[in-house]
Amino acid sequence: MSTTTVMQERDVKKRTFMQKMFKIFGKTGTYTFLLIMALIILFPFYWMIISSLKTLPEYRQAIPTFWPNEVMWGNYSKAFTTANLGNLFLNTLYVGVVSTFASLIITVLSAFAFARLEFKGKEPLFGALLATMMIPGELFTITNYITVNQLGWMHSFTALIVPFLVSVFYIYLLRQNFMQIPNELYLAAKVDGTSDIKYLWRVMIPLALPTLISITILKMMGAWNSYIWPKLVANDEAHQMITNGLRNAFTDTTGQADYPVQMAAVAIVSAPLFLVFLCLRKYIMQGVSRSGIKG
Amino acid sequence: MVESKQQWKAWLYLSPAILLLLVFTVWPIFNTLRMAFLDGYGNMAAMGGATFEFGIENFLKVIDYDKFLDCLKTTAILCVATVPVSTALALLIAVALNSIKPLQKTLQTIFFLPYVTNSIAIGMVFATMFNIVGYNPVERAADTWGIINLVIQFFGGEPISWINQGSSYTANIVVMIVYIVWNALPFKILILLGGLQSINKQYYDAAKVDGTRKARVLTRITIPLLSPMLAYVIITGFIGGFKEYSSIVGIFGEKMGPPDDAGRLNTMVGFVYDALEKDRQGLASAGALILFVIILLVTMFNNKVIKKHVHY
Amino acid sequence: MIKRIIATVLTLIMVLGMFAITGCGESGNESSAFVVPETGFNPDETVDITFTHTMGARLQEVLDTYIAEFNKIYPNINITHQSAGGWGDINGQINTEIAGGTQPNIAYCYPDHVAMYNIAKSVVVLDNLIASDIKIKDSEEIIGLTDAQKADFIESYYNEGLVYGDNQMYTMPLNKSTEVLYYNKTFFDEHGLKVPTSWDEMWEVCKKIKEIDPKCYPLGYDAEDNWFITMCEQMETDFTSAENGGQYLFNNAKNKAFVKELREMYKKGYFTTQELYGSYTSNLFVETTDTNCYMCVGSSGGASYQMSNNDTADGSFAFEVGVATIPQYSQENRKVISQGPSLCILKGKDTTDQQVLASWLFVKYLTTNIDFQAEFSMASGYMPVIKSVTENENYAAWLAKGNGKEYLVAKCVQVGIDGRDDYFVSPAFNGSSKAREQAGALLLKCLSTDTENVDKLIDDAFQEALNECEY
Repeated sequence: MSTTTVMQERDVKKRTFMQKMFKIFGKTGTYTFLLIMALIILFPFYWMIISSLKTLPEYRQAIPTFWPNEVMWGNYSKAFTTANLGNLFLNTLYVGVVSTFASLIITVLSAFAFARLEFKGKEPLFGALLATMMIPGELFTITNYITVNQLGWMHSFTALIVPFLVSVFYIYLLRQNFMQIPNELYLAAKVDGTSDIKYLWRVMIPLALPTLISITILKMMGAWNSYIWPKLVANDEAHQMITNGLRNAFTDTTGQADYPVQMAAVAIVSAPLFLVFLCLRKYIMQGVSRSGIKG
Repeated sequence: MVESKQQWKAWLYLSPAILLLLVFTVWPIFNTLRMAFLDGYGNMAAMGGATFEFGIENFLKVIDYDKFLDCLKTTAILCVATVPVSTALALLIAVALNSIKPLQKTLQTIFFLPYVTNSIAIGMVFATMFNIVGYNPVERAADTWGIINLVIQFFGGEPISWINQGSSYTANIVVMIVYIVWNALPFKILILLGGLQSINKQYYDAAKVDGTRKARVLTRITIPLLSPMLAYVIITGFIGGFKEYSSIVGIFGEKMGPPDDAGRLNTMVGFVYDALEKDRQGLASAGALILFVIILLVTMFNNKVIKKHVHY
Repeated sequence: MIKRIIATVLTLIMVLGMFAITGCGESGNESSAFVVPETGFNPDETVDITFTHTMGARLQEVLDTYIAEFNKIYPNINITHQSAGGWGDINGQINTEIAGGTQPNIAYCYPDHVAMYNIAKSVVVLDNLIASDIKIKDSEEIIGLTDAQKADFIESYYNEGLVYGDNQMYTMPLNKSTEVLYYNKTFFDEHGLKVPTSWDEMWEVCKKIKEIDPKCYPLGYDAEDNWFITMCEQMETDFTSAENGGQYLFNNAKNKAFVKELREMYKKGYFTTQELYGSYTSNLFVETTDTNCYMCVGSSGGASYQMSNNDTADGSFAFEVGVATIPQYSQENRKVISQGPSLCILKGKDTTDQQVLASWLFVKYLTTNIDFQAEFSMASGYMPVIKSVTENENYAAWLAKGNGKEYLVAKCVQVGIDGRDDYFVSPAFNGSSKAREQAGALLLKCLSTDTENVDKLIDDAFQEALNECEY
């Protein structure tokens, strides 16, 4: 009996030592892995920045340079003055904020219905929704264009916002998240007589906050990057979006883009977006620890 | 009674989504179907007053295409190869990111940067890394071998023609896999990180008290609790993978292949685009519907496999 | 769940399919040619017209100036214009707009695009407008073109409007570019080389250059598809025809023969192309280090890329660039490709006659106004389409001198103007862009694929390209 205890003790000691070593190795390994991946991920961003500082001939060189021979800060001032950046920025911000906000409401309500409520035809409806993701969206362009035109929405913010408010992609994502929240919470709330909206607001949304922030980021990015649709339905000065403005402003006579200036412009307009991310990041990382849900 | 109340409430909550989907998704799908079943339908031609017979000729024509199977093959290979790799990598990065304290903010910011990087820049970087400038296959000489080949040479290997003349299909596919995985990573990291944060910390605290090993925590706690998000990432990854097109254009340009074999890497969506450009909406729609059926079958299979392992 | 999904999807397909059969018919556009109303154009009536193009900021400034000038003559024609982005974008955008009935009144176009719009019968046939001698109210100006105006157009440009296989005029040329041969004049002078005018001379020069600098590619050719089409045209072999809705005729023995010859030259290291080299050949041309090329065939519109960027200390360039017409197969049948924008007038169900007339008057103004043509040419490096443009003093002076990069641009324009009788445009129909694409692909394949049996390679490549086109 006593020998086994001794052995057990020794075992425990050995284990803690091993664990420590493991921890140190683990941490170094983790950091090395993350740093290498970060470098790989960072490379295109670096490339964008140095490209935005090159002259066009240098940008077109067969053998690319890793640092501009001549740093062209002028590209930035050119980008600033050529395109009406202020106006483009405000338009994009407006479309981005409104569509993100409306889209979040629709997504939350739909995801809640799919995750929590029982109704006839739920599974087939959800399946059909998923199925709509499987057809290449390019086929929809012409039909939607005609629809928007007949609704009289041409050259308006409505045409830029409404057609893309519903994203099955995000409904699905949020449903997955909502499903993880124990059903007992909902039933308990029901017994207490809490309304659905109140429950959503008090419990579901705080718990799913990281996912909702992710959706917000992606949706804002969508407004920033959309190109083909805005060009079709609202390419006038009052409604022009940032990508369209940039592409049009920096093409030369032969229809080729002046890429360095274009990239400078992208860098300029990405800056506010980047700041938004920095502000939102803490909510993603904070997670549920503060929500204090104890069932 | 609760039952019926839930019924109308559910439909009430769903109504804005359903209404918008009916107008901007279901109606276009209906139109796609209509075009697919009108022989040789073209939008421009229809505007010009041409009429079309109802039939299945579009579908037969898609299947009859010489390179239909090649398109399918490339699509399938890219899809099957990229989804597991990118998902596993994203999971590792997300978990690692979640487990560290110092540098966490900085690293997380870096992993976000691809979102604010111009897509032209991303495509360019890749093409540049693999591109051999002034390649001479006979003398095996070049002006610039590209970063990747320089690394290979540094380790004593022979440089490979990745995307230039004389490159093999396998080499092309490898480049595409690397590129697609890279492209897919940031999104997946963001989603999985969000998911990780939704996991109640109590589970981990309990594991800590028990002295459970890291690897075991990953397989026994993290992955099961993250499984709904993983399921999401995998299923949407497959759906997106089957619609692969623009990433190939990003590397190889509109010719969809190396210079000596244009169209070699064409995919199903590439086929649909081609048809659209030639005013063959009927053919494009038929191609898209065939693709749809394939994706549907794969998704159902995925669902079946995944469902067994998802814990809500 | 899975069974239910299948059931739902199948039911949906069936229901929608039922709708599809009963489907809704769309009323098409009328196909008849535009008839100028006897009352002519009424300049007192306000007309709004739209113009879609791909101009960058610099050219839009020029355009704005001349819209203002135009409005001095016709104050009631309101023109709004917008850029659709690059060349790749404008075609798709206008296709969609035609489907929605919201197409612009005037559009920048290439022949391939017009062939597509024409399927929808959305392009106004210009013949009646050009021929109309109805006078505009309170003015001496006729709607159509005067004989003097017609004669002023460079004929081969003007005839581009006729390449659609039905002898009708669909477009007016705006400003044009072509392919020219850039050469390193310093190097040529140093070694006493003669600038080649024929392909035979070209290969001889290449041989000599290769002896001087074995590491170089004597010639760089930027666009493979243009090369194939230009060879067909110079050798008078068949490429395509716009008749009977379009035919692909390039799969013939003569074409295979020249492709085979080019392959031999390629194997000797005499030339490279953009795709084969893996970068713009203009880079190879302007760089003076390492591998080099001493001749480069590229667009006259891209002259600024062909200038040596290795500035020497005193501000001069490392070498002088010469510009010449591209080599020919035979001097009796001189051919160079014509590129660059034309203008077409589009119509839909709601387009009024007044709008068509106003659009035409603006198109006529842009294409026949000497000052606009001159300024546009100077701003873009494209070539004017009328001969009398040299009457503009600024322009004549610009052509005559200038310095640095601008000098080269002017020189290119001059070479382009000198070669005014040699231009061709390949026939345009639905599918002509596919033929162009396949021509480039097949040439690349035949040049670079490693094989023992060259003839089989070429036969297969031609057949495959034809299959792709005819699919």
